[in-house]
Amino acid sequence: MDYILTTHELTKTYGKYNAANEVSIHVQRGGIYGLIGRNGAGKTTLMKMIGGLSRPTSGHFEIHGKNGETTEQMMPKVGILIEAPGLYPNMTAMQNLTTKAIALGIHDKKYLQGLLEEVGLADTGKKKAKQFSLGMKQRLGIAMALVNQPELLILDEPINGLDPQGIAEMRAILHHLCHDRGITILISSHILDELSKVATQYGIIHEGKLLEEETKEELFSKCCERLELRTSDIGKTLQILGLMGFSKMEVKDDAINIYERINESGAITVALAKENIQTNEIAVKSEALEDYYFQLTGGKENV
Amino acid sequence: MFNLIKMNLYRMTHAVSTWVIAIVTVLYAFLQFGALKLMMDDPLHMFDGGAVSILGMDNVTGVDTVTNFLQNSNVLIIFAVFVVIFANAEQKCGFDKNIIGITQHRWKHTVARWLSAVIGVTALILLGYGIMFGLSALFINHFTLGSVAAIARSFGLMYMGMVAFSAVFFFFTTLFKSSAGGIVASLVISLGILNLIEKLLDLLTKKFISNPRFLPSDFFFDNAYMTFDHAGAGTKAILGFVAICAVYAIISMGASMLLQQRRDVK
Repeated sequence: MDYILTTHELTKTYGKYNAANEVSIHVQRGGIYGLIGRNGAGKTTLMKMIGGLSRPTSGHFEIHGKNGETTEQMMPKVGILIEAPGLYPNMTAMQNLTTKAIALGIHDKKYLQGLLEEVGLADTGKKKAKQFSLGMKQRLGIAMALVNQPELLILDEPINGLDPQGIAEMRAILHHLCHDRGITILISSHILDELSKVATQYGIIHEGKLLEEETKEELFSKCCERLELRTSDIGKTLQILGLMGFSKMEVKDDAINIYERINESGAITVALAKENIQTNEIAVKSEALEDYYFQLTGGKENV
Repeated sequence: MFNLIKMNLYRMTHAVSTWVIAIVTVLYAFLQFGALKLMMDDPLHMFDGGAVSILGMDNVTGVDTVTNFLQNSNVLIIFAVFVVIFANAEQKCGFDKNIIGITQHRWKHTVARWLSAVIGVTALILLGYGIMFGLSALFINHFTLGSVAAIARSFGLMYMGMVAFSAVFFFFTTLFKSSAGGIVASLVISLGILNLIEKLLDLLTKKFISNPRFLPSDFFFDNAYMTFDHAGAGTKAILGFVAICAVYAIISMGASMLLQQRRDVK
């Protein structure tokens, strides 16, 4: 697997509090890695460490397979937008971009204008950043993160506080950056539904610990629709289902969950009846990403 | 490093505060000139401000204009405010998050920011002093230029002091991560509160040690700056003054660099 970023037991401690506790994530090149977690779960702490803004208490991370001292050499290939975008309020969008560009030795105005066009801020002219809406500020923050032509973009809660249109615009930008420009994105959010629309890989973080790391397919297979079947004889039912050609199923509590051919509930009921097995309940059920997350983290508080 | 300095100068010239302080510096130069002229035209006008040092003199020399403009607490407050606002702006608006992570050595940011602040202070000094010197030369009847070398020496020494002061204010801003820290430090110095403490320490020293070779106030930078006889000091006194400036600047900047290198960016 080609990973652009891997962390190895990355830990950040403030006093006795572990903000991030031995977190090991593996971000595949060219994808969008969604970091899911409640407020205070440790997402920002982890991103700050990866973005070079905070020093790990222990553990390390690799970018492009380089670690230790050489990791610092790779930092110019990382773009970050952590929490609120860092903008000079009395400067225009172009002036803010220029400020960062000068620090990096970039003097190409056309390139900077192109970045503003990419995030839909090309026409802001002399409007100062303090007069921007939250969505515009977030988009300018992304443009700022793109100035150094990063291969890895770290975005901390970029859709937080945006209205539906702002969220849709942000989604389009992320899609463009990932698919058209080939930038790998590490994005955090506690808005699970939105994250599920863009991410290709997921890390679920809770109380500083990484609980799960899965691909989109793995996660969605756990959250997808299923047939939940309760009968008078689970053992015989499994045999009959096997004879009918069902293979993707599991027994959970006193029910059989079937993850394929969920529109064949009628045929299953008839087959069971022929063998004198009573069907107590058969229903199509689905588990949303959110439910799965709650199940993992154990509650709905603070989400 | 050069790019970082250029970036800092770019944001300096685009900051409203820079231009406000430039205007204040110009006004200050006019006020100092006005006070000087008033005293020379009518010595009965006793001022309790910066021009007090030339009372009783028959004429104003080029060296007096240096004393009048640079060796007083008012200008210290103006430049302290400039340095503090400039040093803190990046952290205040969060812009530092955009660049610190992608730079290999964080201390470079501190050095670049301070050097840029020094360039700013230099520009303000040249602007203000230039105005005051020009007005004095043109409109004060008893103005005599005197030795250009003496003016250059006085100006150079006082400028060196200002550079060291800027490092001290820069350090307090970095330490407290807010403008308040640097502003309070500048007020404590310029309002004479620190000087009061120094005098108290001197008294205590004299009480316990008869004829001490050094007094605590000798090692306080503000005292060294405000009481330094830049026009008449001998080589030994000049070297002592330069050493104090250098020590304060180096310690302040070293500590600021260390803080920047070790601290997390919020």
